Amino acid sequence: MAKNPLHTQLCDMLGIEFPIIAFTHCKDVVEAVVNAGGFAVLGEAMHTPDEIAADIKWIRNKVGDKPFGIDLVLPASVPPTGDLDELRKKIPQEQMDFWLDMKKRHNIPEPKGKIDLHQWGGLNKEIARRQLDVLLDERVPVICSGLGNPEFILKDAHERGIKVFGLVGKARQAKKEAEAGVDAIIAQGYDAAGHTGPIGTLSIVPECVAVANGTPIIAAGGITTGAHLAASLCLGAVGVWTGTLWLASREGDNDMIIKDRLIKSTADDTVYSDCISGFPMRVLDCTWTKEWRQENAPKVLPAPYQMLLSSDYIQAANDHRREDLMTEAAGQGVRFIESMKPARQIVFDMVEEALGVFERITGLEAF
Amino acid sequence: MKTTANEPLPAVTGFDEAMAGVRAECDGGGPFGVKYMRREEFAGVLTGEYVDHGDPPWRWYLMKDLYVKPDHYPWDSVWCMQGNLFVVGEKKGS
Repeated sequence: MAKNPLHTQLCDMLGIEFPIIAFTHCKDVVEAVVNAGGFAVLGEAMHTPDEIAADIKWIRNKVGDKPFGIDLVLPASVPPTGDLDELRKKIPQEQMDFWLDMKKRHNIPEPKGKIDLHQWGGLNKEIARRQLDVLLDERVPVICSGLGNPEFILKDAHERGIKVFGLVGKARQAKKEAEAGVDAIIAQGYDAAGHTGPIGTLSIVPECVAVANGTPIIAAGGITTGAHLAASLCLGAVGVWTGTLWLASREGDNDMIIKDRLIKSTADDTVYSDCISGFPMRVLDCTWTKEWRQENAPKVLPAPYQMLLSSDYIQAANDHRREDLMTEAAGQGVRFIESMKPARQIVFDMVEEALGVFERITGLEAF
Repeated sequence: MKTTANEPLPAVTGFDEAMAGVRAECDGGGPFGVKYMRREEFAGVLTGEYVDHGDPPWRWYLMKDLYVKPDHYPWDSVWCMQGNLFVVGEKKGS
């Protein structure tokens, strides 16, 4: 009987059944995936230390001793100053007029409440440091650093039995973090949702494997199927990091309008544009992205100004549930999200498909 | 050393002679909005000024004379996390 190809170094390291990591902002998805034999990481970048502590307690009540992770976006660079009100005053009139005209033509209402996107963490490294202290105090099983090199907490984390993963977009960063002693590295490719690096998943994964000197590499970016999982293992990864896959899951807390759009979308329906934040990011195409592609559109503003401009639009779209306006970050693998399945089912379907791929290629039964 | 949310976070500023004038690249970025992150790249010259946040210290170096930065980045300097800095050449002027 052949070795189970899905039982990887990651499974042994974490004590999990399947090398599938769900990255999500929804605690219910964490619960479902962890209890299904996978691993899940809750994104807590913009939560307060108290909120993070409460979420950790909630998850522990739901999954018992099974491991899970918390992801923080440790900033890797911060500007010298950053008062939000001062920045808003500097938005040029041309771009402001373009937005106001768009607002009128598409009958875009005012947001109902405070602007979520204005809770902009990139200006403040102190917040991230306090968040980290909570994760260390709570001895969360795995800390994931979504951007900055977590080397400065490795000693404290390891002394507490905490594993530390780093997410990278370049091989040289993988090499640096591997040398520092992180427990695993997530290599994120261009295919991913949101703000990504310029290197495709198919290239960055083996590139990181080559320089990581044995530190396990986890593949990320556009991964939504068992075939993607099998391919990632063939590239040398020990597992996959998936995000878009869970957005339309039954447990996922996204609006039903967004879930429906994700289910109907293909890679062509995602756009890689800087018009939302000023940085290139992959999202579902929407009125805002289409407008900024028009010939008469003004130049996209640099960050953070473009985000300050787009935030009113995004908040209004969400507050009023306007299908024609709403958008969400989505990776290129969105085509394979075809129905609103329970997260547990998504895990099992992915595993079954991956095993089928290995059986087809090798002619051997996986179990 | 832990602090409560209302206490100032320990921060120690200083000057690192060895890093002053060094050309470096920074694979930077940070959080964006409530649930995303962004990547951005910088290259320039380190001034040698640094700040350590918390305990164990989380070190940041100040980079100026930026010759690589995101399009229309509105500032003339950036604080770079030590772990994401890559020294790329000799000291400026050496």
